[in-house]
Amino acid sequence: MIFILDIEWRYNKKMYIIELYNQFLKQLIMLQYQLNSYISTTIRSLNDDNSLLTSLLILGIAFLYGLVHAAGPGHGKALVAFYFTSNKANYQKAFKMGYMISIIHALSALLFTFGIFYILKTMFRKNFNEMSAIAMQISAGMIICVGLYLIYEAYKSKKFKELQIEKQNKSEYVVALSAGIVPCPGVMTIVLFCIVLKQYFLGVLAAITMSIGMGLTISLAGILSITLHKKADNFLDKKGFILEMAGGFLVLLLGVFLFFSLRHS
Amino acid sequence: MKITFILLLICNILYSHPHTFIEVYPDVIVHNNKITKISFKWKLDEMSSSMLIIELDENGDGKIDKDENTFAYENYFMPLVDYNFYTDISIQNKIKRFPSPSNFKALIENNRLCYSFELINLQLDIHSTKFDFGDTDFFVAMILKKEFVTTNAKNVKVNDLDNDFYFGYRMEIQ
Repeated sequence: MIFILDIEWRYNKKMYIIELYNQFLKQLIMLQYQLNSYISTTIRSLNDDNSLLTSLLILGIAFLYGLVHAAGPGHGKALVAFYFTSNKANYQKAFKMGYMISIIHALSALLFTFGIFYILKTMFRKNFNEMSAIAMQISAGMIICVGLYLIYEAYKSKKFKELQIEKQNKSEYVVALSAGIVPCPGVMTIVLFCIVLKQYFLGVLAAITMSIGMGLTISLAGILSITLHKKADNFLDKKGFILEMAGGFLVLLLGVFLFFSLRHS
Repeated sequence: MKITFILLLICNILYSHPHTFIEVYPDVIVHNNKITKISFKWKLDEMSSSMLIIELDENGDGKIDKDENTFAYENYFMPLVDYNFYTDISIQNKIKRFPSPSNFKALIENNRLCYSFELINLQLDIHSTKFDFGDTDFFVAMILKKEFVTTNAKNVKVNDLDNDFYFGYRMEIQ
């Protein structure tokens, strides 16, 4: 009887978590939907009312949009979380990683948008989709390499712990590059919208402020992962390499999943 | 390991989140408890619209002409068949293939790109048919509100669609 009640309780708890997640997704979408509409209306109104206050308002909304936009699935949060599962780090590192990813993300989006718009000129959406697919393949390849590297490091650190710190810094940059290289369509859409309305400088500034918002959210994923790692480390005591190894495998799986899902899409 | 599984759950989906928002306006015609025709109007968000209008309105006259409409239909609308037009029509809980849309027209209204199209010659029982709107890849968010639906039926129900990792809406005609 107790066993059945326990299963029922666990099942209800699981359902409750899924329901909470659904509601979270809904709120995220509705908020993005409203911000998306608000940002486009405000940018368009700038043509009539070219004030500094309106520009600052647009940048404020872009920041919020970035914050909410990155809270949805994607944007390398899984990679960052798994990476910090595999590596001991402090909270500053999480912020560093979050902002490295978002800066690369924004730069890549700016480069793609201006590149396609001014060099290729036609078929923006088609060219964007094609280039984005190539960038995602590169990204998937890099994530697989990072996963393999982390597994190798975890294996090695079991024997030579002192070598780990120096190597870890290098892999941070690879993680940031592999997550950030795929341009954010959200940033690209805002930049392109500004280009169409001939608000070039505002477009670049909006991309930067949106990235600051995204960076904050991605950093929070890293912080969460580091906190969990610390707790698990205390629990696992001297067998922390299990966690490091698991983190490496998860990064590897993420890369393989991304690579194969791209081939099938 | 439990920790990593929690992380896996939290960060489960690598794939994207909505970058395009489409408001769905269905007009449902019911005759003798059967849905016989549905006219859809999709209104894309202004930012995504601007990206597409650059390409579709080639002569820049602010309208989608006949040739431009054909281009939009062949290159942008019909490829959505792979995504079942983000609309699952299920009869007795079995998802059916989306019927071939007719009378497609791309329009520009208030700086927004709209697609209008019709599903004609339908014979869908209102009691066993459900319409689920949403993109499983989560790249497009379909937005449906009760006030967006017009119908000659007695009532229409619009509910949140309970999908685990993407969000959508369910429409039921009563």
